[in-house]
Amino acid sequence: MALLQISEPGQSTAPHQHQLAAGIDLGTTNSLVASVRSGEAMCLPDQQDRILLPSVVNFGSEEITVGHLAQSLQTSDPLNTITSVKRLMGRAIDDLNYLGDVMPYQFVEVDNSNVPRISTVQGDFSAVEISSQILTALARRAENSLGGELTGVVITVPAYYDDAQRQATRDAATLAGLNVFRLLNEPTAAAVAYGLDSSSDGLIAVYDLGGGTFDISILRLNQGVFEVLATGGNSALGGDDMDQAMGQWIVEQAGLDQLDPGLSRQVLLAARQAKETLTEASIAPVEINYQQSTWRGEITRQQFDELIAALVKRTLTSCKRALRDAQVSIDEIHDIVLVGGSTRIPLVKTMVGELFGQEPRCDLDPDRVVALGAAIQADMLAGNKPDSEMLLLDVLPLSLGIETMGGLCEKIINRNSAIPVSRAQEFTTFKDGQTAMSVHVVQGERELVSDNRSLARFELRGFPPMVAGAARIRVTYQVDADGLMTVKAEETNSGVAADIVVKPSYGLTDSEIESMLRASMDFAQQDIEQRMLREQQVEANRVIEAIDTALEMDGNKLLSTAELTEIRKHRDSLEVAIAVAEADELKQLIKSVENASEHYVAKRMNTSIKQALAGKQIDEIEL
Amino acid sequence: MQSPDPGQNYFELFGLDPGFDLDLARLHSQQQRLQSMYHPDRYVSASARDKRTSVQLASWVNQAYETLRDPVKRSRYLLEIGGAELPDDSQTTSDATFLMEQLELREEIEACRLAENAMMQSEIIESRLSQRASELAAEFVVAYHAGDLDSARVSSQKMQFVQRIHQQLSELQYELEDA
Repeated sequence: MALLQISEPGQSTAPHQHQLAAGIDLGTTNSLVASVRSGEAMCLPDQQDRILLPSVVNFGSEEITVGHLAQSLQTSDPLNTITSVKRLMGRAIDDLNYLGDVMPYQFVEVDNSNVPRISTVQGDFSAVEISSQILTALARRAENSLGGELTGVVITVPAYYDDAQRQATRDAATLAGLNVFRLLNEPTAAAVAYGLDSSSDGLIAVYDLGGGTFDISILRLNQGVFEVLATGGNSALGGDDMDQAMGQWIVEQAGLDQLDPGLSRQVLLAARQAKETLTEASIAPVEINYQQSTWRGEITRQQFDELIAALVKRTLTSCKRALRDAQVSIDEIHDIVLVGGSTRIPLVKTMVGELFGQEPRCDLDPDRVVALGAAIQADMLAGNKPDSEMLLLDVLPLSLGIETMGGLCEKIINRNSAIPVSRAQEFTTFKDGQTAMSVHVVQGERELVSDNRSLARFELRGFPPMVAGAARIRVTYQVDADGLMTVKAEETNSGVAADIVVKPSYGLTDSEIESMLRASMDFAQQDIEQRMLREQQVEANRVIEAIDTALEMDGNKLLSTAELTEIRKHRDSLEVAIAVAEADELKQLIKSVENASEHYVAKRMNTSIKQALAGKQIDEIEL
Repeated sequence: MQSPDPGQNYFELFGLDPGFDLDLARLHSQQQRLQSMYHPDRYVSASARDKRTSVQLASWVNQAYETLRDPVKRSRYLLEIGGAELPDDSQTTSDATFLMEQLELREEIEACRLAENAMMQSEIIESRLSQRASELAAEFVVAYHAGDLDSARVSSQKMQFVQRIHQQLSELQYELEDA
């Protein structure tokens, strides 16, 4: 096991061709795409020179439209026009109540699936599919604008997104045919955009209030390293809720009864418009057309402030918590940065400023800053900045635990642990002769499992019967750099490899994704196979390149002639196969190269760590 | 899948002399240096196996960092590499005076929940806890360096108790802030 290509930062190897990469901010209200061109991050406009793409999808009887056109169909075709789909990402049917009346759609349940689908004239669609339409539109815009195919993208997600919500975002990208370099937390992306802008190192707080989500992250900036110390928030709190509060007020003031979907859209749109007016003005007119008559009213900023004060106060509580988790006091914060469209609201600015005791910074456009940061990260991950020292170190937003006796949740990885992270915990059986154990993975801070998010249920089966308490079941949680987790369970006494059945509680299963992929109009059967083959070919080339680089460096030093010959044999058959083999066959051959080089890789791993230590000693001499 | 070389000692990994008193700034800078080598962001275009390996290595570095940064975990780790038996999580202390002190602290925390100036009260308890934690750490250092692992283990266990009470206090403070 080892990294075959270890290089110290700044040690660029071969000259590198510029790769097209983009950062995507998939927002509740609006989405954007940005890219680094001639060394500068910029948002890419559409053909009408518009940067923001409304996150609205219309499933009309003729065609599917995304963006401004879809937005204009909101009141006339409310049931087939989906807005704020981000609020549904990774949500189960049971969660819909909790979202309140925000979603005026017709949801349908599909057999054997926990994933809600919205019924439209084009059929039933999940949030993942709807989001993939938005991603596709943005990717197409980027490719037109950059003049070529994207090698990969960075997609931003709320820092407070749980595993199911992150997985749903990744699935949407898969469905849109995008190669995701990384899911990047929105506040971290904003910090990158700001951090590279100013040269000031120190502690910064990023307050990100969007259309449907709220995040607060505390970061330490130090010479290109962005280290998140703590994050907090609420993935169901944002500008939509303010519209909702004002909508309620309008309904009362205008004495509206019998709200049909078209009218409730109209009310929400009027509320949003008034909210936006109140950013500058102290009073805003409101007009509602209802049963052939028109109601005219007005709302003052003070009235609006009263409606939203409780919501803003909730965000401040999260800020205090995050500061406590980061073990930082408020006066150590060097800069407080505002991100997200809802931070334009004067009351938000004032209250945040009062809490932090300083004027918040908003010199970069709060709508664009996240996409810009994502573009910078995408450019680096594409390998276009081989000498960059930029490094983003993020954390897990919510604790990961396991259900124990009595429906209690035992935490295995605590919130705000630096990711990637891996932790193992041992459990045992409580009945004689027990040969299976069920594992329930949950996410959240509460003591009771039922108060937390259920992520997955596993069954570990087939270990030999033992007396109660004798089995040693080791459950390992691994969280990667996207904040996504994998779990494995093993009975260590018997050493018997047991089967694990994973049933995602909330997400789409692999087979659901695959069938969506097959069903989607963009991918005919042939295209899918073609794509799978291409993926395997790319992977095969990477494996060969890695092996060659490694062997050249230390093959003779670490391996016997027989070992060398064995590895070369497998490598050569893989190389020959690339041009002619099918995807499955390539996959097999890649596996055999991996197996043949396992031992070699382990040796290189040890050498690498020793080198890291040797590097440290050189540092010391220099000191 | 194998985990990265477990033979590697955390102190060696960060190039630090093994001991309780650490140069935390150096630990931090070494952590960032190792992450800049192993973080998955450096292997986005690598083969699937290299990607997996980098996730494991970066996790391992994070775990090592977390262990050394936290005083209680650090003390336990020192005992572990010193060959001492680790105090069991569920084990209680036999030190009656210490037990009394813990009980009293818990009662005080409960009492301050209802107090008028709850947050201020909690902060007073908090500073006492910090004070207590550093006293225990000092006891640990003396015992550990004298090679008295049994006493060191007792101190480490007490440190853990104090940390737990501190966590309870933090929970209370969260609640107070929410209210």
